[in-house]
Amino acid sequence: MNWLGSLRKQETTHARFICVLGLTILALVVTIFLPPVADSQLASGAAITIVILGLSWLIGWSGQISLGNSGFMAVGAYAAGIWAHHHATTPLVFTLLLATVAGAFSGLVVGIPSTRLRGPYLAGMTLAFAAAITPLAQNFTSMTGGEGGLFFNTLTTPKWFLHQFGGINAAINANAQWSADLAVVIAGVMFFFMANLFHSRSGRAMRLVRDNDVAAELMGINLPRTRTLAFVVAAAFAGLGGALFTLLNATVTPETFPLTLSITLLTLMVLGGIGTLSGAVIGGIIYSFSPNLVSYVNSLTGVNPSSNLGANMQGIIFGSLLILTMLFAPRGIAGVGLKIKHSLQSRRKLESVENVN
Amino acid sequence: MIQKLRRSTTLLSVTALTLGMVSTGLLASNAEASTSTPGVTAKTITIGASVPLSGVAASYAPVSAAANAVFKYVNAHGGVNGRTIKYIRLDDCYDLAAYGLGCTAGASTTTLSQNKVLVAQDHVFATVGSLGTAAEDSVLSYLKQNGVPQLFVASGSRDWNQPSIYPGTFGFQTSYVAESKIFARYINSHFAGQTVGFIGQNDDFGADGYMGLTDGGVSISSANDLSYNAADAISGSTSDIQQDVATLQANKAQVVVLDSVPGFTSGILTVAHMLGYSPQWIISSVGSDPTLVNNVGEAGAISLDYFPAPTNKSDPWVPWVRKVLLADKADFPTFTASSVLTGNEFYGAGYAVAFVEALKAEGKTVTRAGFLKSLKSTTFSTPAITPLKYSSSNHQGLLGGVIATVAPNGTSAPTLVVEPNTTVFTTTNTKSSPIKVSTKLAIALIPSWLK
Repeated sequence: MNWLGSLRKQETTHARFICVLGLTILALVVTIFLPPVADSQLASGAAITIVILGLSWLIGWSGQISLGNSGFMAVGAYAAGIWAHHHATTPLVFTLLLATVAGAFSGLVVGIPSTRLRGPYLAGMTLAFAAAITPLAQNFTSMTGGEGGLFFNTLTTPKWFLHQFGGINAAINANAQWSADLAVVIAGVMFFFMANLFHSRSGRAMRLVRDNDVAAELMGINLPRTRTLAFVVAAAFAGLGGALFTLLNATVTPETFPLTLSITLLTLMVLGGIGTLSGAVIGGIIYSFSPNLVSYVNSLTGVNPSSNLGANMQGIIFGSLLILTMLFAPRGIAGVGLKIKHSLQSRRKLESVENVN
Repeated sequence: MIQKLRRSTTLLSVTALTLGMVSTGLLASNAEASTSTPGVTAKTITIGASVPLSGVAASYAPVSAAANAVFKYVNAHGGVNGRTIKYIRLDDCYDLAAYGLGCTAGASTTTLSQNKVLVAQDHVFATVGSLGTAAEDSVLSYLKQNGVPQLFVASGSRDWNQPSIYPGTFGFQTSYVAESKIFARYINSHFAGQTVGFIGQNDDFGADGYMGLTDGGVSISSANDLSYNAADAISGSTSDIQQDVATLQANKAQVVVLDSVPGFTSGILTVAHMLGYSPQWIISSVGSDPTLVNNVGEAGAISLDYFPAPTNKSDPWVPWVRKVLLADKADFPTFTASSVLTGNEFYGAGYAVAFVEALKAEGKTVTRAGFLKSLKSTTFSTPAITPLKYSSSNHQGLLGGVIATVAPNGTSAPTLVVEPNTTVFTTTNTKSSPIKVSTKLAIALIPSWLK
């Protein structure tokens, strides 16, 4: 059970499957006990988890910095939104697949030129991509709905699920839990997929390219192809996450995916643990419940939430958390967990060695 | 192999455990079954709204505050059929919280997230007077799915008037299309043959407004049909506005219609002043309130008004609204007997009175279906100067207003709108529907139980 950090190569797909299934079931059980508002927060968090998985792969494993993930999310969201707006009856899976393909395509478009860029130049290019998406969405009005964006039907809760609930708030509770469950299952599937990808041939190639591209090239790895592939996968994940986010919220506008979202995603990834699978899940959970954390801190410190200080509390909390993380735990919360586990393991090994002696 | 087996067993037991928990959890929620309506108890009725209380559109905050004052006033006088009204107003920053801009609602707050709190946590009976076209569009589907009525949406979009798709959604103010049709009639009779220009917000607001003008027979050349992006304020650029005004000046537009929110109205007037350009301004009711626009250049502009002018001595609602606001020190701490009433306060008081009247008409037993039925059959007496009437096919709300003029105020910014005559124009959204003219304000008497 090594899901806390990144899974090891020798662990089989089977083991990974069981880990992810267990985690998913645990999350599903949690949704039963959460109040409906927290359920919908968790649903958005699951969508964000998918995006961070892709980002973690791109930045943590392939070593390419991207500030364009809000843009990839927007591409997926608009693909799903435009489709759902006109074809309300298509199965959800199809809409999500479409958005994933659209996201992947945008990743290809950004990825190809990015093979010639490094570090801040690459960050700048991806930033430009994210910045360009908003005006594009504002302009092709007949398709994107312009400033007002598109709005469509919320996800429908199946009858059999609805019938499990009673009371005057049955529908409200059922709808909230259904959307959370659906998002958790999709995030679980994507987590499994990424866990395997991390340990696949491409995953290993990706790490080698990150650490020493000359060595990688000597070993016969095609650098541009590997780098572009990293973008395509990250963008596909972001597209799917963005689409899920949009379908959960039943609306997409140019304001839904601002540039600042890219920065937020980066922060969440670093807090959770860069380049780790569980870090993405932690990041998603932090995203879900950050409003609760902020109001808790406000009530604890007695700061008026409408004051200037209270309004900026989110930035203050996460800014200081980010600084602390960079100083004391560069691999984030997941990294701390890994460290504890490794020290426990080495102690156990030491003990067994002593026993032999 | 043994390890694999052990894992499979663990998995199986986890699954079994989960299923057990799922069923107990579901049984638990089944047990709390009851037959009453959400938000309604024997003594109270809880309603809510997501409104901008901070951020870019905070100038609209007095709207829901005035409504709250009316509810408090009604509660103090015995409530409605024995129930007091609890009005929960949550700040959604016009659905633009992510941009900051003085928003104190938290960066991840959206109109949808606040509506989820209202519906799933506070269990409101309905949302009443939630504000903003894009903001309320974003919750149409959510509120419908959960069976929550979306009443008196504070926006002139036609989206609230789709009874077959959204049977629980109702607008309140005169639609942008109807308003522009009335402007078109005014332009054709007062400024016939003059060049007309248009600057509209780049969403339903501007699009509907432009449609109303052309439906009403005003021709605007494509060079003079301009739009600005509301998001420009967010990125700190108003280059659209400067170009737009310069274009209209170069094209010698003599009459300019603005479908803009107050902040942009002021920006446009300032740019025009700097360029030495002074056409006849015709400004949508949404963006013309002189105390919000706060710009000397607005003097003499024409607008539409569906509430009484604060100076109107013969309208009983003017002193009534003043009395209600004076009684609510929590929402209006600085309001005094000499403060100027604005359209915002009449607006909030207007829908609050309408809600209370429909609730009273429904009687002692309150259900959502019963309320909507009552809403469609009640003849309202509200502060509005045009009749408010809903039906199965009309969920729009008010249907017109009077032509009003912004009164000059010397070298200071104007504060007052005057209604030079009592001609009321009413019409509906469809192109073919004619504009009805009545020469008498439809001033409704205050019901005795509200006095």
